[in-house]
Amino acid sequence: MTQIGAIFWAQWRTLYHFYPRRGVAWSAIVGFIWYGLWTGAAIVMLRVFSNPSQIPVIRIALPGGLLLMFLYWQVVPLMLATTGSSLDLRKLRAYPIPDSQLFSIEVLLRVTAGIEMVLVLIGITIGALLNPALPKWSLLATGVYITFNLIIAVGLRDMMARLLARKRIRELVFFLLILGAALPQLVLARQGMVSPQLRLLITRDNWQGWPWAAASNLILGIRLAPSLAVLCAWTLGALVFSRWQFSRTLAFDSDAANARGSKSGGRSWWIEWFYCLPSTLLKDPLGALIEKEFRFLVRSPRFRLVFLMGFTFGLVIWLPMVFVPHGPLGEFFVRNYLTVVCVYSLMLMSEVCFWNAFGFDRSAAQFYFLAPVSFTRVMAGKNLTALFFMLIEIVMVTTVCILLRMPLDARRFAEAYSVAAVVMIFLFSAGNLLSIRQARGVNPANSFRTGAAGQQQATLFAVYPVTFAPILLAYLARYAFGSQAALFVVLAIDAIGGLIVYRVALDSAVQTAERTREAMIAALSAGDGPIAD
Amino acid sequence: MQGEAPAIEIRDLRKLYGDKAAVDGLTLTVPQGCFFGFLGPNGAGKTTTIKMLMGLAPPTSGSIQLLGLPMPERSLDIKQQIGLVPDESMLFDHLTGGEFIEFVGRIYGLDRAMARARADELLDLFELGSSPKKLIAEYSKGMRKRVAMAAALIHRPKLFLMDEPFEGVDAVGARLMKDILLDQVRHGATIFLTSHVLEVVERLCERVGIIHEGKLIAEGLMADMRGTAATLEDAFVRALGMEHAAETLDWL
Repeated sequence: MTQIGAIFWAQWRTLYHFYPRRGVAWSAIVGFIWYGLWTGAAIVMLRVFSNPSQIPVIRIALPGGLLLMFLYWQVVPLMLATTGSSLDLRKLRAYPIPDSQLFSIEVLLRVTAGIEMVLVLIGITIGALLNPALPKWSLLATGVYITFNLIIAVGLRDMMARLLARKRIRELVFFLLILGAALPQLVLARQGMVSPQLRLLITRDNWQGWPWAAASNLILGIRLAPSLAVLCAWTLGALVFSRWQFSRTLAFDSDAANARGSKSGGRSWWIEWFYCLPSTLLKDPLGALIEKEFRFLVRSPRFRLVFLMGFTFGLVIWLPMVFVPHGPLGEFFVRNYLTVVCVYSLMLMSEVCFWNAFGFDRSAAQFYFLAPVSFTRVMAGKNLTALFFMLIEIVMVTTVCILLRMPLDARRFAEAYSVAAVVMIFLFSAGNLLSIRQARGVNPANSFRTGAAGQQQATLFAVYPVTFAPILLAYLARYAFGSQAALFVVLAIDAIGGLIVYRVALDSAVQTAERTREAMIAALSAGDGPIAD
Repeated sequence: MQGEAPAIEIRDLRKLYGDKAAVDGLTLTVPQGCFFGFLGPNGAGKTTTIKMLMGLAPPTSGSIQLLGLPMPERSLDIKQQIGLVPDESMLFDHLTGGEFIEFVGRIYGLDRAMARARADELLDLFELGSSPKKLIAEYSKGMRKRVAMAAALIHRPKLFLMDEPFEGVDAVGARLMKDILLDQVRHGATIFLTSHVLEVVERLCERVGIIHEGKLIAEGLMADMRGTAATLEDAFVRALGMEHAAETLDWL
């Protein structure tokens, strides 16, 4: 326990030292809003579950709700490649800390991947306890269900992180992940199959062996003993699985695993051609800067993962919506599929392309300040690199749409590309500022992001609505005037305004970089505490 | 039994990265109470070896015994008796020097009050106490090495594993660290260090080993290793077979 206490104490000191320097007020405000919303959801749950008249609704909806919570906790972090805080085993393995203690801390840290769900479950628990028509098993049920989720999350995360650390296997795992993500939605989209398939998972008469069904039964006071046994069995199974995965992670040597997958032979001519492409199109030093970015990003596991996810997940997640033929949602996706997927891809890529442009190549940041190249040119090089990869992403999305014979015409192409272009201009503007003001070292070799810096996450929470506001205006114009031309006119005005904003933001970012270069380099070279965030 | 065993006993140790052997059949014995210098050019396998000794990288094959205990089977017992000066990336940058030393002390099982008291004393000993609120991220390279060494001492280990402990340390700091290490050896501790600073190794170590391309090419007492060479540097270059004159480029 001394060691667990020491680790948490060191992490507390780390946060204490780090946050006051990095705008704690801003983080607190946005964190307050985000968790305030979830607390609101928890209060709604509390009111619903404490109301005896709502029991019929609760009976129908609770298993599905608990399944959704499980998915939010386990699957969404893997899909977003952001798995919350985690022990920095690279540093802690050198010390005499028993594996069991490290595992216990890792289990507790999984709360960070699903703290919103904990809030909602607390609301459900209190509500159920206050409901005279429900038995008092909710505390036990949600307690065990949370424990199950925490434990299984360790195993899933460790397994995925190890698999994604291996070259070649990483690609295979990735595509299996995509298939896994696609399957439920494809099933949902196929009408006629939906009801029986869904019933197996979420409705009252589903298989009672699922952990969410067992937890639901316990809360509702149905089949108490078997439900408790089922839930405990799942938790025990999760414990065995996660301990096994965790011990494998402790013994895992990522350097050796990577080396096994690397070819000792020469590099393909086409990849070398790709790397040299910027130098053939642009003069040095810009050409050299962009070529370096190409080489660096393509070799970064984190970038490759996000790049692949950008278009594949976008396509897979939104595709089934197109096949839902009736209703406003289906029609919306049929009309705007390409636009939606392009914007989704941009958002997913933004982490590696916009928000922390210097975080990935932290070691190069110092060179940029020393090299006889203006910082404006350095940033322009980074922006052009991002633009290039974004274009590849969007072209790939478009190609897949064409191959799938999606209902696309010139107007839809123009709309999707114009919206993407305007979004990109504003993302570049905000990204350049944030890359300087909130520079933060990131390990490009980590496929999974363990968690975003609180302040960066908080800033994005505020920045996204602002960057998307011009697009919203354009769509409002189309709605108000009932004309596609109005959309394009407003988008054109947005683009002009965006370019002015971009220029101002770039100048401001460069000035800030020159002024705060020391702090920026220090921030980029800083490591973490015992818990990586 | 444990007291009589060598401090480090490595048998036929191999570490493969893909097809490449970073460490290739290393066999080495370091007796207890010895100040051992582990030398080699860049990429020779020094850091990989020390990582395997620290339990940070599993060997592909071979065996390691530290203080008479097998690694990794008894890794917890072994780690409890080891003081590490690892690669500086292993430090926690957002802690102050004092906090880091205290943290390490607590990880080694000292109670909080004792860990804090010893941390304060070590900070003063290593002349880091004048800026107690300074974060390790703000330390110079030499200060980082000093804080790492201070942390390695907090639980009075029997064996020190040190990766380039003098890298970036100024003359005064290096002198201080050398005195402390020699004192530890006098009190029976064993020190295994890698270093590029051959003058320091020559002055401190009684035994040295030279690793090249993963293989141990020479090992023995300092005097024997130096042989007829004027300095350890000459002997080192000769052992590596790199005595040819530096070539220059036409344009340079």
